[in-house]
Amino acid sequence: MHSRRRFLSASYGMGTIALATLMKEQGLLHASPEVAGAPRHFDNLPKPPHSFGKAKAMISMFMQGGPSHMDLFDPKPMLDKYDGKDFPGEVKYDDAAGASREVMASPWKFSKHGESGIEMSELVPHMGSIADDMTLIRSMHTGVNNHGQSIYALINGTILGGRPTLGSWITYGLGSENSDLPAYVALTDPRGLPVLGVDNFSNGWLPSLYQGTVVRSKEPRILNLDAPMSLQGDAQKRYLQFVSRLNDSHLQDRPGETDLDARIQSFELAARMQTAAKEALDLSQESEATKRLYGIDKPETQEFGSRCLIARRLVERGVRFVSLFTGNQTWDHHSSLMTSLPAACKYVDQPAAALVIDLKQRGLLDSTVVHWGGEMGRLPVIQNRAGVKNDRTKVGRDHNTYGFSMWVAGGGFKGGHVHGATDEFGHKAVEGVVNHFDYHATLLHLFGIDANRLSYRRNGLEHKLVENPQARVVSEILA
Amino acid sequence: MRLTHFFSAWCLSSAMAWSADTVSFEKDVRPILKAHCFHCHGEDGETKGGLDVRLRRFLEKGGESGPAIVAGKAAESHLLEMITSGEMPKGKPKLPEKDIATIERWIAAGAPTLRPEPEKLGPEHQFTDEERSLWSLQPIARPAIPAIDAGSAHPIDAFIAAKLSEKQLSFSPEADPETLIRRASFDLTGLPPTPEEVESFVAASSADPAAAWQALLDRLLASPAYGERWGRHWLDIAGYADSDGFTEKDPERKYAYKYRDYVVRSMNDDKPFDQFVREQVAGDEIALKLGLHADSPTPAERERYAELLTATGFLRMAPDGTATQNDLLTRHASIAATMKIVGTTLYGLTIACAECHDHRYDPISQADYYRLRAVFDPGFDVKTWRTPPGRLVSLQTKEAKAEAAKIEAEAKKIDDARLVKQAAFIDEVLEKELAKRDASIRDALRTAYKTVAKDRTPEQVKLLKDNPSVNSLSAGSLYLYDTTYKTKHADTLKQMADEAAAVRATKPVEEFVHAFTEVPKAPEAVVASHVLHRGDPESPKDPVGPGELSVLAGSRPVEIAAEDPALPTTGRRLAYAEAITDGSHPLLARVLVNRVWMHHFGKGLVASAADFGVLGEKPSHPELLDWLASQFMARGWSLKDLHRTILSSRTWRQQSRRDPERERIDPDNRLLSRQNVRRLEAETLRDSLLAVSGKLNAAVGGAPVPVMYNEEGQVVIGVDTTDTAGRQTGKFIPLNGEEYRRSVYVQVRRTRPLEMFAAFDAPSMTDPNCEIRPVTTVSPQSLLLMNNTGMREHAQAFATRLIAECGTDPARQAERAWWLSYGRRPAPDDVKAAVEFIQAQTEHYRTHPAKLDRVSGPAEKDNAAPELMGLAALCHALMSANGFLYVD
Repeated sequence: MHSRRRFLSASYGMGTIALATLMKEQGLLHASPEVAGAPRHFDNLPKPPHSFGKAKAMISMFMQGGPSHMDLFDPKPMLDKYDGKDFPGEVKYDDAAGASREVMASPWKFSKHGESGIEMSELVPHMGSIADDMTLIRSMHTGVNNHGQSIYALINGTILGGRPTLGSWITYGLGSENSDLPAYVALTDPRGLPVLGVDNFSNGWLPSLYQGTVVRSKEPRILNLDAPMSLQGDAQKRYLQFVSRLNDSHLQDRPGETDLDARIQSFELAARMQTAAKEALDLSQESEATKRLYGIDKPETQEFGSRCLIARRLVERGVRFVSLFTGNQTWDHHSSLMTSLPAACKYVDQPAAALVIDLKQRGLLDSTVVHWGGEMGRLPVIQNRAGVKNDRTKVGRDHNTYGFSMWVAGGGFKGGHVHGATDEFGHKAVEGVVNHFDYHATLLHLFGIDANRLSYRRNGLEHKLVENPQARVVSEILA
Repeated sequence: MRLTHFFSAWCLSSAMAWSADTVSFEKDVRPILKAHCFHCHGEDGETKGGLDVRLRRFLEKGGESGPAIVAGKAAESHLLEMITSGEMPKGKPKLPEKDIATIERWIAAGAPTLRPEPEKLGPEHQFTDEERSLWSLQPIARPAIPAIDAGSAHPIDAFIAAKLSEKQLSFSPEADPETLIRRASFDLTGLPPTPEEVESFVAASSADPAAAWQALLDRLLASPAYGERWGRHWLDIAGYADSDGFTEKDPERKYAYKYRDYVVRSMNDDKPFDQFVREQVAGDEIALKLGLHADSPTPAERERYAELLTATGFLRMAPDGTATQNDLLTRHASIAATMKIVGTTLYGLTIACAECHDHRYDPISQADYYRLRAVFDPGFDVKTWRTPPGRLVSLQTKEAKAEAAKIEAEAKKIDDARLVKQAAFIDEVLEKELAKRDASIRDALRTAYKTVAKDRTPEQVKLLKDNPSVNSLSAGSLYLYDTTYKTKHADTLKQMADEAAAVRATKPVEEFVHAFTEVPKAPEAVVASHVLHRGDPESPKDPVGPGELSVLAGSRPVEIAAEDPALPTTGRRLAYAEAITDGSHPLLARVLVNRVWMHHFGKGLVASAADFGVLGEKPSHPELLDWLASQFMARGWSLKDLHRTILSSRTWRQQSRRDPERERIDPDNRLLSRQNVRRLEAETLRDSLLAVSGKLNAAVGGAPVPVMYNEEGQVVIGVDTTDTAGRQTGKFIPLNGEEYRRSVYVQVRRTRPLEMFAAFDAPSMTDPNCEIRPVTTVSPQSLLLMNNTGMREHAQAFATRLIAECGTDPARQAERAWWLSYGRRPAPDDVKAAVEFIQAQTEHYRTHPAKLDRVSGPAEKDNAAPELMGLAALCHALMSANGFLYVD
């Protein structure tokens, strides 16, 4: 048996641990075959994909609430023509109470960006600056017009809860490249969790190993990561050594009991995480220029910028999947679109663009998928909840899951590319429609995962992320 | 007739054993087609492309593209072409190669069937004989106990030994007494044995092992902790929670805990399990039959009524979002979740899979699902749905109600008197205020004041505005004038209000039960049950009546009477409950004894404890399973008797140590040539921490111990004092020892699992129940053991206990700590190392003073004694080591 004491003390000198030993972590757990209904064992060891995949990691910035695509990414001259007039067709409303047929032009100017000339609005100038690195999808569709269901569609592939999220599936399939850190990390907003709360990073019925580990927006960023005041420094070191002594002699009397060994190793990982996670979350190691790039020097972008920078540091260290969230209904602009949308954009525009720029300059963009988008877009007509007639500063736009925009960059997606289109009013996706299941199939493809083979046996059935037979890999957006 | 069917099934399965190379439609091909093709080609009237694949001759006839098979000519068979190319099943993954090969072999062999195919496919042909022969659906036999050498062998050992010897394996030696008492204590009570219990058992064992063992089992089974332990197991599969779940709001279920207490009490009383099942399924109807109600004359009868109603909480455990989202889909979701719970608890089958279509693998039709649902439909009554608050049943007697009304009337009198007095006070102050003003405006001002606000003229409004001390005179501001006029009006009024409140407080408290009941209706008004097309509540199809799984029809009646004229309700659940507990049901007893076995060995004889179907595991010892099930029923469905039987066996009492020979022959230990090492469950871990630290509060039952988020965002025990916006107020309400109650009493809020429970795989009951707990080994668990403030608190309490019990000598402390944590004496080496560790840590705290840790509430002010902190470090290490977490 290898010496655990030596191993443990190594954890106090960062980064000197032999990877081979680390690989043993929980690998031992993998001994028992999968038996229906019986307890099974799982691990986060790196696993080869089914075929070569460009993408190795993903960062998803989920803009819960539904950013207004026709005010940000999908210019519609027809809206200018019809501004103030009745919408000439059927509108699918969600909130009938505030519904109107009055078309509202976007109050913001659009202009072309980069060599690709992708048109984006003045609210997202930084995103404009990375136009040549992104695929802008203007034809997203989930077709379920409320927040909860549409979030579920995009994060777990169905309109129901209780299922594993995208990050759980990908870490279940591929494991992690870093055994000192959790494989799947959720970076939550200090203003609160998005609609559906922790379901946004749930492992569903996959083992808890595949749950997103919450890195909180404030200290302590990881629960139980820091030793309590009474157990710091040498006190903890001696404690760990003594536990290790107890466990070694316990295991000696129980040879071959692999669970005991696995637990010993998980204790060691925990000890390493104390330093590894702290190091990964320590932004003081970044240059002032980098911090400025993310807008950490400015109050309005400091918070989201910090999280974007943490996301990059995690991916850099081999974390497989990072989710960033904005607060509850940040983008749900049923009213006061004029003031609320610019504020919401300001919070994320520069940091989100900085993430792509930074990943690119570090050579990580090719292997990292970056996603920015919400669960829906908005309607081309006015929603007038406040009942203030003719006051455009108070009105908003209602839900629209029939056609909306989001962008993806890196990891094998094309740069400087626009995919699909909505109708001339921006209500419904009409060209190159990308459903949530198409999006998932495309992502798995980029990771080299065969969507039909990534499955989990439960209640006697094979469950998958992509269960809709109509799902297709959107090859037009692949580099 | 029944017998013939039973025997033919047996003959078939033995025939299969020696003719494995011949393929047939029924045995080999149909199951593949059923799983992948029936949905579009045959089931539910659907025949895409005109093709029905449910019979061989249908395949030969084919559909729009011609015959699907040409017997003997695989290469010319369209079916084979379609599945080989992957074109079929459409939009689904290609069939596995081995299935394609089976079909090819079958066609090549001339597409044989085992027997002539039926003329037409009526309901009686829903299932083939092969499907009917599923092992778990055969009647429970009473197998002969294998004869083994030792004449007086325990029956369990005889069954186990027979299989072991086939593989040249034998039992491991019996575990030592220290291991046995620890294992038995955790198995039966979920708590570690105390050092005194261990010592006295070891001594008694050396004198008379058999008597000592019986005495130990007697003591453990009589302990109230037994019911808490085994109640928890049942609560897992019943899906017990103290909140509604389903929506993010997750409203609390204030009275669900009474069901938990009912379960714990039933376990402790060793209530016969058949009765336990009947009460949970139909307690309300049993009460009706017995003529019990809230106003029954004697307290015993009222108590029994409450108990019977409480039992039906079983059918109301599922998540239910209708308190906040009362639409048809949400109602059906709750019913579906309940059906899943019924299916897994009582049948050990995935009946829930047949909600939208016939079960893909097991002989359960979609109509079966809705027949079974029809047993419960009148209680759910999806049309006139009662939301969770609306379905609580009051236990208040008429007498108490009258008493409450009387007290309310008295309180009202005081209220009325107070209002009169209040008006007089206001008038009095008003006159005093007016007196201070110019006589010319007094009348106008008085009138303005007394005019209702909305009727005041602009002049009156202005007048009042100019006289603010008149304008703001109100009941609420009277106290301000007390200072001016040196009166005590506000106090007088408050005294009267307090008096009314005091009177109201004497009202008898109205208690409710979280129950499943049926509103009595005329037969024609009872909600109709239908098969729902593809499970869609908006698409009802054929009406169905209540019934059991039709596949059982060969061996027992499956119809359930739709109406019981003797009862005001339909009586369906009572009839059903009596049917499944009649002692001849093939599943219930098997499923139950298997679950008990699972909790004693870490794995059931059927490893898939909630799937006794085609895709589940086959029993490792089918005869033993049947022997246990029949014995269980014959002995009056007594769980305690079953524990005694199992725990008295050599099989259970073996040591758990692995050795290379056993590993080679039986790596998964399915044959049980040793016991299994098992990790403590989440609740047992927490309870052990409390027991060892001496803090455990052994109070039984009652409202759940609350949980809250602490300032670090962890879910901990405590009273939630956040404000309405969810912000921490910093207010702390002490729980006075409630925080040390056993884990089964901690509130199960589906969206707020206690941190330690969530980390160690306790279910959060969103699924909706928990059939088998996963056992994960992840580093967040280790982080928690290492760094969590709660762990530090436990360790420091443990250290305080040690100092109180054995003074300041580190060697004595260490020895006692070992006894308490592990139930055995430490090796001299261990004591030596522990003393060095305590001393090193104590030295550390001399130079780095630290305070005692607190999970919640005000922080400690003073530093703790270094000796205490040093000893606490040892306690913490002992409590987080594997020796604490695992049972041999």
